[in-house]
Parts: sequence; C-alpha cells; structure tokens
Amino acid sequence: MLRPTAAAKATAEPTRQRRIQQGFRERLAPYAYVAPFFVLFLIFGLFPLLFTFYVSLFDWDPIGERTYVGLDNFAELAHDPRFWGALRNTFSIWVLSTVPQLLLALGMAHVLNHARLRAATLFRMSVLVPYVTSVAATTIVFAQLFDRDYGMLNWFIGLLGFEHIDFTASVFGSHIMIAVMVAWRWTGYNTLLYLASLQSVSRELYEAAAVDGASGWKQFRHITIPSLRPIIVFTVVTSTIGGLQIFTEPLLANPVGGLTCGAARQCQTLTLFLYEQGFGRFHFGYGAAVGVALFVMVVIVSAINYLLVTRIRSERP
Amino acid sequence: MKRVVTTAATFAAAVLLVVGCTPGSNSDTGSSDSKAFEFWSFSAINQKLEVDAYEKKHPDVDVKLTEVGSTTETAQALTTALAGGKVPDLVLIQGDDLPKFMQSPENFVDLSTLGADKIKGDYLEWVMKQSVTADGEIIGIPTDVGGMAVAYRTDLFKAAGLPTDREQVSKLWPTWDALTEVGKQYVKATGKPFIDNTPTSIFFQAVNQGSERYYDADRKLSYDKNPQVKAAFDLTLKVHAAGIAAKQTSFSSGWTAGMTKGDFAVMSAPAWMLNAIRTNAPKTEGKWDIATVPGGSGNWGGSYLAIPKRAKNAKAAWDYIAEMQAPEGQLANFLTKGNLPTTPSVYTDPRLVERTDPFFSNAPVGKIYTQSVVGIKPFYIGPNDATIGTELLNTLTSVEQGKVAPDKAWDTALANVKNALRG
Repeated sequence: MLRPTAAAKATAEPTRQRRIQQGFRERLAPYAYVAPFFVLFLIFGLFPLLFTFYVSLFDWDPIGERTYVGLDNFAELAHDPRFWGALRNTFSIWVLSTVPQLLLALGMAHVLNHARLRAATLFRMSVLVPYVTSVAATTIVFAQLFDRDYGMLNWFIGLLGFEHIDFTASVFGSHIMIAVMVAWRWTGYNTLLYLASLQSVSRELYEAAAVDGASGWKQFRHITIPSLRPIIVFTVVTSTIGGLQIFTEPLLANPVGGLTCGAARQCQTLTLFLYEQGFGRFHFGYGAAVGVALFVMVVIVSAINYLLVTRIRSERP
Repeated sequence: MKRVVTTAATFAAAVLLVVGCTPGSNSDTGSSDSKAFEFWSFSAINQKLEVDAYEKKHPDVDVKLTEVGSTTETAQALTTALAGGKVPDLVLIQGDDLPKFMQSPENFVDLSTLGADKIKGDYLEWVMKQSVTADGEIIGIPTDVGGMAVAYRTDLFKAAGLPTDREQVSKLWPTWDALTEVGKQYVKATGKPFIDNTPTSIFFQAVNQGSERYYDADRKLSYDKNPQVKAAFDLTLKVHAAGIAAKQTSFSSGWTAGMTKGDFAVMSAPAWMLNAIRTNAPKTEGKWDIATVPGGSGNWGGSYLAIPKRAKNAKAAWDYIAEMQAPEGQLANFLTKGNLPTTPSVYTDPRLVERTDPFFSNAPVGKIYTQSVVGIKPFYIGPNDATIGTELLNTLTSVEQGKVAPDKAWDTALANVKNALRG
C-alpha cells in the first residue's frame, strides 16, 4: 500500500520528538519529586550551617557591632575551662543516657516480640507514651522529683536511712538526673524501632533454635542481635547525634541557675553553653565557634560509632 | 479539557496554601491611627492587671500583652527580636539587663522625641540616670524600684521565743552581724534553719547597699578592687559558717516549697518580693511581717519601659508609658500590686504612707520601702553587671553546697568572673 511519504514522515517526526521529550521528563521526574526536600534543606539546613561557620570568624554582637577576628574565637575556646567542662559533661551525659537506653530497648523489644505475650498491643503502645509527652513539662516534673529536700526520690532515700543526695550540686548526680530524663523519653521509641525490625525475623528461626536446646539468652545473642544489625547501626548513630546535643533537659532542670545548669556548671552541655554565650551574653561569634566545635565532634564520634557497630557479624544461617 | 481543569485546580490550591500560610496581615498594617500595640513583659508580675486597667480607661486601644518569661528570658527574646525579627512596640527591661541594651542605643526610640524630657524630672534622679545615654537620649522610663527590707514569720519567731512586733524586730538587727546572732539564737531554739539562703539574702542585699558596686565612679570595672564587694562576700561566708541557712536557692521549687512549709523564718524582701511570697505561699497569709534591713537602706531591682526603634506603633506605646508611669499611675500600681514608685512626689501622698498589707500583718509597706530608698547612695550599673553578679552568686552557692572551700572562695570567684568576662 503506497502512502504519501511526506504524510508518513509528518506523523513519524512528532512521535519521535514527543518520545524524546517524554524520555527527558521521565528522567527528570524523580529529581523533581525529591527537590522540595532538598530545597528546604538548602534553606533551613545547609545555609544556617555555613552561616555559623562564617559567624564564628567574627566578634558578633547581634544588636551592635561586628568585627572580624579570624580564628581568635577558636583559640580562646581551646583555653576556656568552661568549654572543656561542657565537653566532659556532654560526653558523660551521652554515655550515661544512650548506653542503658539502647540496651534496655533491645531487651524490651525481644520481650515484646515474644509469641505468647498477652495484651501485646497495650504494652507496645504504652512504651511510646513518654516519647509523646512535652519535654518541658516532664523535665520540670523530674527536676522536682530529684529535689534535695522535697523530692520524692530523696524522700525514699531518707526512708532507707541514708542522707539526702543533692543531685544538682554534684557533677555525677546531675548527670544521672539528666540521663534518666533522656532515657525515660527515648527508650520506648527505640524499642519500637527494634520491635518493628524484629517482626521481619522468621519465627521458625526461634522455634528451630528452641528445638536445638538454645536458651533465651543464646537466642537473643545469636538470632536477635545479628538480625537487628542495620537498625542497631541506625539507632546508635541517631542516638549519638542526639545525645551529644542534649539541650532542653539541662536548660530546664535548673531554671534558677540561669543558663549554667548548676552553680558550677555541673550539667551544662555544649549546646547549652552555646546558647548561654550566644543569647545570654550576646557573643554570637563565640557561640558559633562552640557550634562549629560541636559539629566536628558529632561527625567524628558518629563516624567512630558507625565503624564499630558495623562490625557486628551478621550471622544469617 | 481535563488537563485545563487539573491545572486550574492545582493553581487554585497553591494560591490557597500561600494565602493561608501567610501570617495574618491584620497585625502588620499597624498604622498610626490603629490604636493597637504589642507589649512584652516578664511573667509572674501580674502585668495583666495594669494592662486591663488601661484598656478599661481607653476602650478603643487594644494592648497585646505577651508575658515572655523571666527577666532574663525577656531580655534574650528582645535581643533576638532586635537582631532582625519582629519587635514589640513596648518592652519591659529589668535594671540589670538594661546596661547591655544601653550600649546599643540605636536600637531604641529616643523617648525625648516623644515627650520624655518634659516628664524626666518626675523620677528619682539616680534611677533616671541609668536609662539616659551620654548624649542625652532617653532610652527607658523607670517603672519601679525594689527598696530593701526583711520579711519574717511572726508565728515561727514566737515559737522560738523572739519578739514579733516589727519595731522590736527591726531593733534586733541594726547590723548584719546582729542578724547572724539572732539567727544562731533561732537555730538553737528550734533546730530549724533561720534564713532561706546566704548568696541571695545576704550577699545580694549587702552588695547593693554600697556606694559603688562592680564599677567605680569613672565607670571602670572594679569588682575585684572594691572593698565593699569583698566585705559583702566575706560577710556571706561568715553567715554561711554560722550554719543558719536553709540553703534553698531563691526562686527554685525547693524555695517555694520551703516557704509554704515554714522551713525558714526570714528572707530578703524588696518590694517586688512581696508579690512572690503572696503567689508562692498563699496559705501563709497573715503569718508574715516586715522589718527593716540591717544597714537601714538599699535598693535591689527595678525595671524600665522602652520602645524599640522599629516599633510599628510607637505613639500608642508612648501614650501608655506617659499615663501609667506618671506619678498618679505609679501610685495606682503601688496600691494594687505593691511595687514601689520611682516618682518621689508620691512618697508623701497619704494613700501611700498609710498603706498597709494584710498579708504581712498590716505592715505599713509604703513607709517602710520609701524609707529604705531615701538614704541611698546610688552606684553605677555597668554592662557586665549581670554577668559579674551571677558568677559571684554562683560561687557563693557552690560554697553553700559544699563544693568550694570557703577559704578558696574569693579566688575562685575572681577566676570565674574573669573567665566569664573574656570572649
């Protein structure tokens, strides 16, 4: 059948062009879908980060003058005992809150995953309740619980015949107090993360292990933990990033002491020190320098954590 | 066709979203004929009472009051706003926070352009001086001063065998050492603490009674050289050694609990503290009285009202200041809340002189507090005062908590202040 070639060409050309356009649009589509997030991240995440680096090179009074001082802020920071104290506090509180929290979450997830647990949904829901409470309100309540003279904890200690403990006055005591507040909040959240991951582990593995005579503890060590490796990596990294930046609890636990969390800065974390310098003393440049130091520290520690945790052998029979 | 409809619908949705997310444009049109203005104040001082009174007299004015938080939090919020956010039209600044803002007066409206120079003379000269720049710009109008006194529990004094009449009690302690002796007597008789704490109730009071504080008359830093500061510091260590304090940090939850339960009998009481006692321990009504402070006079506290430069409705804010902070306005404030006016013309007004407070066993609060500010030798408050004061207070608190040895306390305090002032 002979058709005029011009007409044939006319219909073939637009199809090919349209196909190229369509192909181009198809390749572009995924980027368009993720673009909103990255645009927001650029504006509210990356820009403030870079601006902080910039501000840390100045002596920056938010309502006054700004003068360029180069790396002077960092030099001063290195000699500031308050910075090193805050660093010590931050690490101490991080370890005291994160380690028990994750271990407990792991154990609780294992228990909540048990086949014959009654009212499983009730337990799983209630374990998340601390996470949804207001940080400010619970911090204030916990601070009152730990009060030296009128707190419930000291009342109980007094009942046992011991002398009251002044938690806010001692370094270790105040760290315990903050760590309890943080762990109380986040354990449930991490439990549910682990639990969700555990649900994908086949029950037959556990049954087979039980048949072979493996105790609960052996099952935990050889089945639960290796299966949870990816999620453990995730929770360790996020807990590290969050734990090194704890701010609200130290700020509100000791509201009278201004922004120092204790008369001798017993529980002042790096973020609180940053806030005190920036908004308490109007030294934005110095505060920004603390921010940069904190950023570097979090990156390094998270990297170390990640490398350590990925060495859990994932035994998958 | 379908494509056109979909596009139109998406466009409409986007427009709605943008419009819905834009902050209400009503508040942004604050033109000078609209009589609304935004007022930032501290919380817990019942500012609402005055605002409501003003709105009642001027029904066409809408005052948007925000109680930001403590005095420090309000100062911080103000700093953030001045640095580039939305500023209020009127803001309350505490006396210790004011010097920092005075260093950048370009952030505030010079109130003399609105008429402040005409009313400047109504206020105590030494209070007004703090809010006037070297060039004569008036940045703030003072709202109140604290004065100084000591509040004591009559029922607990009676149980300890001490006199309860306020004249007699005032005679018991003409000096701080005498107060310490009374304290020791009380502890011996009852076995319970006498005073709430030493850093606030002893140090902050004593150091505010001098003729110079942390800056000398030439406005140079002198906290380490000023013998009055060292004397107040040593006095505090002495009182601590006497073991008569309950060691409850002022304004903490333990302090309010102790107040209600009567775990201490004596506390510092500048005029604004009376309200704190009333609010924190309402069940102790009628069990308190007020005696003079050792040393007789002194001032602690006081605030100022200022108008940020970028305020949308400076005129309406100024009208509020002019009316509420005029001598009559401050007197009315005293009669309702007990804040001591900074306008000396009302100090002889019979309504103030005869004013008694039933919560405090009908103590003549007007007379007591005006007497405490009459003999004052005012000192200069400098930009780093709040920081220095906080570090000294914190060191003394650490001593009270047993974390710093008393003989090392002064050196520790100096080191802490030096640390805090660098950078």
